[in-house]
Amino acid sequence: MDFAEPENWSAIRAEAEAFVAEHVTDDMIREELATGDGVSRPLLRALGQRGWIAATWPVAEGGAGLDGFEASIIAATIRLAGGPTIGQGTTMLPANAIRALASEPLKQRILPSVAAGETLICLGYTEPEGGSDVFACRTKAVADGDSWVINGQKMFTTFAHLADFCFLLTRTDPESHGPRGLTMFLVPMDTPGIERQAVRTMGYERTNIVFYKDVRVSDFYRVGDVNDGLRVMRVALEAEQNIAPASKTTQLFNTALAWAQTPDRSGRRMIDSPAVRERLARFAIDAEVAELLGHRVAFIEQIGGKPGPHAALFGPESYVAWAAAVIDMVGPAAMIAWSDDEAVSGGSFEYHFRSAVASTIYGGSSEVLRSLIAEQRLGLPRSRPRTTQA
Amino acid sequence: MNLDLSAEQMAVRELFADLFANESTPERIRAAEPLGYDPALWAQLIGTGALGIAVPEGLGGAGAGLLELVLLAEEAGRRLASIPIAEVLASVRLLAEFEARDLLEESMSGAKLVSLATGTASLADQILADGAVADYVIALDGERLVVLARPAVVRHLTNAGSLPMARWHDATEVTELAVGSRARQSFDVACDEVRILRSALLVGLSFEAIEIGAAYARVRRAFGLPIGGYQAVAHPLADAIVATDGAQLLTWKACWAAASRHATAPSLASMAFIFAGQTACFAAQHSLHIHGGYGFMAEYDIQLYFRRSKAWQTIFADPQLELHGLADRRFGPVLADMAGDVS
Repeated sequence: MDFAEPENWSAIRAEAEAFVAEHVTDDMIREELATGDGVSRPLLRALGQRGWIAATWPVAEGGAGLDGFEASIIAATIRLAGGPTIGQGTTMLPANAIRALASEPLKQRILPSVAAGETLICLGYTEPEGGSDVFACRTKAVADGDSWVINGQKMFTTFAHLADFCFLLTRTDPESHGPRGLTMFLVPMDTPGIERQAVRTMGYERTNIVFYKDVRVSDFYRVGDVNDGLRVMRVALEAEQNIAPASKTTQLFNTALAWAQTPDRSGRRMIDSPAVRERLARFAIDAEVAELLGHRVAFIEQIGGKPGPHAALFGPESYVAWAAAVIDMVGPAAMIAWSDDEAVSGGSFEYHFRSAVASTIYGGSSEVLRSLIAEQRLGLPRSRPRTTQA
Repeated sequence: MNLDLSAEQMAVRELFADLFANESTPERIRAAEPLGYDPALWAQLIGTGALGIAVPEGLGGAGAGLLELVLLAEEAGRRLASIPIAEVLASVRLLAEFEARDLLEESMSGAKLVSLATGTASLADQILADGAVADYVIALDGERLVVLARPAVVRHLTNAGSLPMARWHDATEVTELAVGSRARQSFDVACDEVRILRSALLVGLSFEAIEIGAAYARVRRAFGLPIGGYQAVAHPLADAIVATDGAQLLTWKACWAAASRHATAPSLASMAFIFAGQTACFAAQHSLHIHGGYGFMAEYDIQLYFRRSKAWQTIFADPQLELHGLADRRFGPVLADMAGDVS
């Protein structure tokens, strides 16, 4: 039993900090705050040159041969500095599924350029009437010679306006319902018939609604077998649910503690207030637990096991709870936005309060994760009725 | 980083898992009530050499560490073992530290039961976790760490958790182990070991309380379905198992930090105790609740877990006060009185 941070973690953190100092510029941070795109092409290319986009892939495939935890340290370091991480993080979910299940020619066409930071892939799962029920997919793909014609609509396709491809879930068996009869495609986003509509969020992020009207895609871009999209989705979803979310709870805790320990204009330190101390002590525990559950994910993956969605449940749940509680603790000044000179701690508290609530929704809502844990770990019956009707 | 147990540690865990599963059955737990002490189980535990596990070999022990004791405590917690665990295991390590050979030998052999008074108030003002069954307690008396002998008359205080708790009036001092800062330091370390061992007891309790609830929810039907298929029943159990995993990791980390004399050791001991207590009480409460009226019946085992979860936590400390202790350890002392201050 050894909980010491391994030397390779501290080493990779130091490398990532040096990388951030060089590549995550003030302009880039401001642009990210202003646009909420989650993507910076120059940053992607710089990461690609280091092999840090597909960091866990072998060097021969354009990766850096890192383990999952080393890779998450890089992402956390960029995020801590305010640099965009959504583009590369999201791209790797389909990239790993493609690597596992796509045809050789498609792999050769896509993967090297993903690893180089040249190709961005967004996710086209969710539809207006299907969020957590991801398999309630109505977007249709119909075979026509060597290609497919796609019609439908997808919600919350973050960076669809910048991506090169969309990893798209479609229904190819018109008679099917639920998880059967689905097929995955990698749709080039410059195909005629694709229309994007910007969606602003309360959390400074921009996302999109994407309409597909008679979009013609070559069969070359099919991922996995026809009507076997469930298998491809499983690979991609599991990767997402098992992600060790280098805990934002800790990031917020560190900011709150620094606020409490810094004397105000009259020399008072809020850490001396019993009400603040007690809450920060409780917060410190939740942050530690979130970290430990995340570390366990990394450890289990390293020894070849399946960690399950425990960390993906506790981390975001504690983050949401504390993002709200910190506003109470810091007071009205915590609500001042980063764009105002009087913002406290650079507007962090306002930013986290706005954005945290999405973390228990995307990547598997907490309800879905709880159901998975109840079924897989506790042997309880399935609590979501299977789709039998359209 | 390595979160796996060694082969030896796995063997320790298995040994005690078997012992407590076989010898601390619900029937035995009920038979030991209301005192909460099962002398036969105690004799069996002594027979395994358990009390010497973390005592140096030169003093007649097995020379293992706190983690092995934590594994023992988790298994004891899982089966609500009706015997003293946390304070006794911490005491035996104090006796070893001060090479109090006679008492150490008596404790390890089971001839005498030596426990710890974890409070800092005068002994007569404390409720001792093992007071009704202990022969000696180690206590901090001002600047001195002393061993006190059981008074002639001790009255068990019948209680919600069926703990063998009692007050000791007019206990007589047997020996002094240390004086001054050394006394305080050793006492503080022993209390942190109690925090860690109590966390381990509560972690084991929590895992089993969840399993009892899940087993019931798999078979009990309502409105045509097993109730485990309803999210209002299932989801809090999922939260509980995630938190219990977290509490176990926290307890193990606290153990590692204590053994490697890491600066975070005291904070982690506090965190583990607070979080494991909160988690076990939540797990047992929800598990009882989903039994409906049956959970309230003395005949159902979950009520044993519900009562013991609160008792095993609160006999050591009010978790709210522990939060302030954690704040002192983690953030340093309060430098200005802001109790009445409003920002």
